[in-house]
Amino acid sequence: IMSAFGLIQIGLILSSTTIISSLQCSHLPLQQRKVIENSLRLLDKMGKKFPQQCLREKMSFRFPTQVLQPRHKETVGVAIEEIFQHIFYIFSKNLTLAAWDGTALDQFQNGLYLQIEQLEACVIKKHTQHRQSKEVSRLKLKKYFRKID
Amino acid sequence: AQIGPPGLELQSTNGVIKVKVSPPEANQRKKMWINDLYFKYNLVFWENSSHAQLQSKNIFPVDTIDDLAPDSTYCFKVQANLPREAKQGLFSPISCVQTTQKVNDLLCATNLRVLALNMDFQLLWDDQENQEVNYNVQYLLGFLKTLHDDYSDKWLSVPRCENITSTWCNFSSIISTMGFYYLRVQAREGHNKSCLSREVKVDPLKTNGIGPPGVRLDLSDTLLHIFISPPGGAADEVMRDHYDLSYRILYWKNSSDKEAEVKQKEVKQTIATVPDVAPSSLYCVKVQAFSEPYNKSSAYSQQECIHTPAGTSLPLIIFGIFMGALLVVLLVATPLVFVLYQAYSKMKYVFFPSCQPPLNIEGFGAQLFSSPYVSAAEEPVESCCVIESVVTEEGNQIDFTDYKHSKQSSRDSGNYSNDDNTAGSKGSKETLEKEMV
Repeated sequence: IMSAFGLIQIGLILSSTTIISSLQCSHLPLQQRKVIENSLRLLDKMGKKFPQQCLREKMSFRFPTQVLQPRHKETVGVAIEEIFQHIFYIFSKNLTLAAWDGTALDQFQNGLYLQIEQLEACVIKKHTQHRQSKEVSRLKLKKYFRKID
Repeated sequence: AQIGPPGLELQSTNGVIKVKVSPPEANQRKKMWINDLYFKYNLVFWENSSHAQLQSKNIFPVDTIDDLAPDSTYCFKVQANLPREAKQGLFSPISCVQTTQKVNDLLCATNLRVLALNMDFQLLWDDQENQEVNYNVQYLLGFLKTLHDDYSDKWLSVPRCENITSTWCNFSSIISTMGFYYLRVQAREGHNKSCLSREVKVDPLKTNGIGPPGVRLDLSDTLLHIFISPPGGAADEVMRDHYDLSYRILYWKNSSDKEAEVKQKEVKQTIATVPDVAPSSLYCVKVQAFSEPYNKSSAYSQQECIHTPAGTSLPLIIFGIFMGALLVVLLVATPLVFVLYQAYSKMKYVFFPSCQPPLNIEGFGAQLFSSPYVSAAEEPVESCCVIESVVTEEGNQIDFTDYKHSKQSSRDSGNYSNDDNTAGSKGSKETLEKEMV
């Protein structure tokens, strides 16, 4: 899970600032960038050593990176929101085996939730075009996260 | 695929209705919509009367509906939506409930409000009666409301705001820029009575106010330097990082005529320069910080004024320098010119003499110049010797006077005497004479 998240978060930082700024929510790029920075720091801080018994179960999941480089820029907003939502869901589950730092986890989730809310406010405004490609991105991401789950 | 109806539970307490929504497929093992956190619940309700108006509200899975008329029957139905996918679910069955009378609990804290400046957050409320009331301020992380679990046990106390009697609380310690928070005040009297106030939602960066920046002025030549210190005090790093601050500078020349033209300048850096300030004037400056992304601006800073020094009259300086240079040039150039002229004239005199030959020579005419070599007539050369017998000193004296005479008579080439070797010593005496003369 950790390697997957690492990849996702890096991809998000690279893409989100340019993409989100194309959506017209003025303070969004700045705030999102700050929250992502802090989120990465918290992710780094919150997990302790990877549990030994899980090492055997470690699998590599191929993240559908093409969702972050689509032909239409607006679709990426949808993809990012979808990714955030899935990450939020995963962290809401009772993950007992891995020893998470509770405070850091709470902060991370709170930040993530804020991002989701903000993106929803911006993305939904422009939901009219390119529905097909948005659906395709969304399905790909759902499939990926179901595999991880 | 269609989203099924969610479950709905209602509870009427103290004039408000507590709503609990269970997601569609809540009890199914195999789920279509895996992530139930995705759902946004839309509650539709109306008063069960003749001219009822439908009200629609987006609610959390566990929520409270207030502002309802007491002792009335209200009917509710809820649907689960996926806004991103533009999917709307089926409505739950309608459920009606009656509101109770609102007990005006004088214990409860009312009129909760938040004052925030430079990331220093204060919660203020009013107490209703002058009672022995203890307050306990609690906060909740924003995302917990979106989970289906009951978050009532997730409220935490704000440090240093537990069991207090004052009606304010500084909750900056629990605030971070990651997400938003809910705050409420629990009022307690004795051991039994307690009351929870309404909740207030705090989005830190949106709620926070930007304070005025600091200003310092400095002068150099004809430039006015404005040094701005960002607002925030202790939290200035947070302010700078999150707000992407810019500064609006207003400056004007405070002159006797009231028509002071106020000029404006917007900068991103903390140093600005105003060029070409007039001398002997009073300039005043005030600065405002603003954040374009958040559309927030601070109050203006204190007005700072500075006096520009009296202008050193430049033309006088230029004239003085010019005269000095002129003087130096004259002092140096004049003797030089003089010396050069003298040298020139001497050279001319030596190498290119302009004197006329005397008239008697001129009389010779052409003959003289026809043949360059003039055969000079042989002068009868007498080999003369001046015999001088050195007798005594007296004799020498006499010799000297004789000498004088002889010398005076023959004045021609006095410098060149036909002395032979015999009169060698005399020759030297002659020269000595000459010098003495």
